[in-house]
Amino acid sequence: MPPLANAGQAPGPPDGGWGWAVVCGAFVSIGFAYAFPKGLAIFFKEIQDFFGTSYSEVAWVSSIMLATTYGAGPISSILVNRYGSRPVVIFGGLLCGIGMVSAAFCTSILQLYICVGFITGFGLALNLQPSVIIIGKYFLKRRPIANGLAMAGSPVMLCTLAPLNQFLFDNFGWRGSFLILGAILLHCCVAGALFRPIGAPTPPVKPQVTGKGKDALKEEVTEDAMEMGSPTKVPMEDKVEEEGGKACCEKINQYLDFSLFKHRGFLIYLIGNVLMFLGFFAPIVFLAPYAKHIGIDEYSAAFLLSILAIVDMIARPTTGIIANSKWVRPQIQYFFSFSIAFNGTCHLLCPLASGYTGLVIYAIFFGLAFGMVCAMLFETLMDLVGAARFTSAVGLVTIAECCTILLGPPIGGTLIDTFGDYKYMFIKCGAVMVLAGTFLFIMNYYNYRMLAKEEKERKAKEENPKPVRTENEGRNSWNKETTRDGPELEPLSKEQEGLKEEVNGINEV
Amino acid sequence: MLAVKATGCARTELQKDPTVTTQDASHSQANSLTKMQTGLNVSSPEPMTTTRTVNRQTQGSPSDHLTFGHNVSVPGPDLTTQEFKQETKEHVSNATFVEYEILLPGVSGTSTEKNITLDRATRIELSCRLDNKYSHLKSLQVTWKWGNETLRHINKTENSWGIQLRIWDNSQLGSYSCTLKGEEEMHAVFHLQVPKIEGKEKPIVSYEGDTAVMICKSYGYTPTAWTWYMTNGSEQVAINDSLLADKYVINRVSANVTHLKILKLTKEDDGIYWCEAGFELGKSKGKLKLKVLSLMVPLKPFLAIVAEVIVLVTVVFLYEIYSKKKEKCAADEKEFDQIEQLKSEESNGLENSSTRHRKI
Repeated sequence: MPPLANAGQAPGPPDGGWGWAVVCGAFVSIGFAYAFPKGLAIFFKEIQDFFGTSYSEVAWVSSIMLATTYGAGPISSILVNRYGSRPVVIFGGLLCGIGMVSAAFCTSILQLYICVGFITGFGLALNLQPSVIIIGKYFLKRRPIANGLAMAGSPVMLCTLAPLNQFLFDNFGWRGSFLILGAILLHCCVAGALFRPIGAPTPPVKPQVTGKGKDALKEEVTEDAMEMGSPTKVPMEDKVEEEGGKACCEKINQYLDFSLFKHRGFLIYLIGNVLMFLGFFAPIVFLAPYAKHIGIDEYSAAFLLSILAIVDMIARPTTGIIANSKWVRPQIQYFFSFSIAFNGTCHLLCPLASGYTGLVIYAIFFGLAFGMVCAMLFETLMDLVGAARFTSAVGLVTIAECCTILLGPPIGGTLIDTFGDYKYMFIKCGAVMVLAGTFLFIMNYYNYRMLAKEEKERKAKEENPKPVRTENEGRNSWNKETTRDGPELEPLSKEQEGLKEEVNGINEV
Repeated sequence: MLAVKATGCARTELQKDPTVTTQDASHSQANSLTKMQTGLNVSSPEPMTTTRTVNRQTQGSPSDHLTFGHNVSVPGPDLTTQEFKQETKEHVSNATFVEYEILLPGVSGTSTEKNITLDRATRIELSCRLDNKYSHLKSLQVTWKWGNETLRHINKTENSWGIQLRIWDNSQLGSYSCTLKGEEEMHAVFHLQVPKIEGKEKPIVSYEGDTAVMICKSYGYTPTAWTWYMTNGSEQVAINDSLLADKYVINRVSANVTHLKILKLTKEDDGIYWCEAGFELGKSKGKLKLKVLSLMVPLKPFLAIVAEVIVLVTVVFLYEIYSKKKEKCAADEKEFDQIEQLKSEESNGLENSSTRHRKI
């Protein structure tokens, strides 16, 4: 077989090698993105005293940061689609650093909102999305493990940042700490440097739906049919003109794939997750206050959170390994729904926990469930939409989740204030998550059945063009180990089908 | 167990109580009592009589019997004398009324202590009680002391003895103790003190030219006045914010909280500050430390970390360029080999075809 044809083929993800360095970078990046807003809480008391504001006004800083990190998701996706992960992450790291350094010189709480909230939040958004995306580009077979390891960055960073922030605060006050934290955030740039681009870069002008896959395909077709000369150019040109017609929508789609909203799997994921996030973060926010409320002292209450973080740290890579096993990987959506429902059940049982031992057990199970859900959060999305459209998918999902993430803790807080009892908040969170888990379970069962049906239909169609079959089979054997990856390669194989048929048609003539 | 009950109600009838079993009232004791009695005639500024129930566990007593405030108009069940009832009704004045009781363990040689915080003029009754199971201990001599003075006490019941005090001055605060002497000796002490103000243990760090805000809070008790002091050498100098209005701003944010804002910080402002809360019964201080740093201090770690980041990024990029070069070389070599192979195949093919021709 001539080597040139192989060079034109879409290269498979390496599933190792430099990929592990990328996982390290993603670990750092994701860790900062999730843990940094939480770690800032140590400074709030001092800032509140300094500016003479109420606690809620200072807490807005954290909320704005979280909102920007999730809300700027689509912008992040667009930039990654355009420029690739590496420049975006490096720029994000610089932005974080600049944000925190300028926050060190702020003279009003409003300036803090802008510097810490918006600028640093935006920088973190530019860190989070590309890190998750690039894992999808580097891994396929071992992707759940890679995801689990990268997501483990969050609890590890939180455990590191909390005492570090306290140390910085004791020695340098809040201004000095912000200055130094700005420098620490620059390590995101190092993480970005590790994100070596992989695969053919997407050409900026031509609108394409499948990005690099289609591009590689065109190359292959032109090379295969080089001897054909002009006849092959005709279908290509027609296609270009056709595409020019819907250039507007296609152009937007190139940057942010809105056609995902027609994708069944994506919609299921979106609805399920938006529902889940209503009850996801509130229990963590209120665990320590609840512990103090039932009479446990401050240090033991804080220790509960540490237990949670440690169990979380271990649970994430472990879940990744389990999700990668051949029994779970094909049914990973079920595993995800199960972990959400498990998380919900923990919350529902929490009010039954009495005393410190009960809460410790709750914290352990909560940490486990939380880690399981987080480890598979992006893995399941990748599984549903495929690595190619994942870039846009993650942006759209995060902006939708943004609303419910921000609403969750305040709703919980209102419930606590109205009823004066924490158990209603736990019941609400538990109920919402069990509902989300059940919804996802049922809908994914439906989705899997539909996918199996479509797969059968596709294979039936494949019966006809025989010369193409060998190449298709070659590709199929590559992804047979991960049978559920059918949906990922579906758009790819469909395009290739269409083009191949045209070429073959000419051949036969 | 000896229970010490404290009720706050000064009585003029103390001397007439027939059940007193203490040592003979000494002259000084009578004097102290009269002092207290005269105190009675001074009306306290407090509004309505309130009773406070204090649930505090005393040290060293395994089964604490906690105490209960009594309404002045309804004397507690342990108070047996009618006279007492009358007295209390007569002297329903406007002081706060509290009772404290210590249960003494029946073990010889023990000393139990209790800290009582008072911020305003109070009528207080302190009592020591012995649990019924120890009532077999006979010939007990009960002594109540304040410092070195012995006080007259009342025998409230068979097993409890108390003193009633009216505290309206700082000089009356201190340690009041009851001692039981018999076959075994037991001791209980009440420490009456003003509320403590906590400062901050960790220093507040601020920077030159910046503003520092120091906060003092009083928990549970409202001070009548707050004063701030700074230490100049070994002296404590009061801070006058009206005199130096562009440097110091003292703000009483709420009744229990005070803020001291120091503007335009310099190195000289570094040091220890005191916030003093004035209560009716005395003053209490809290300590705060202020550290003023120059901007250079955090700048050094900042620059160090930035340098480290630049080094790491450069290393990563250099490694990438190096490994790409290696790949390219390897790829070039591979291509070269393949071209060689093709050439040799072609030449072989040609040879073959020529041989075929020859054969034919």
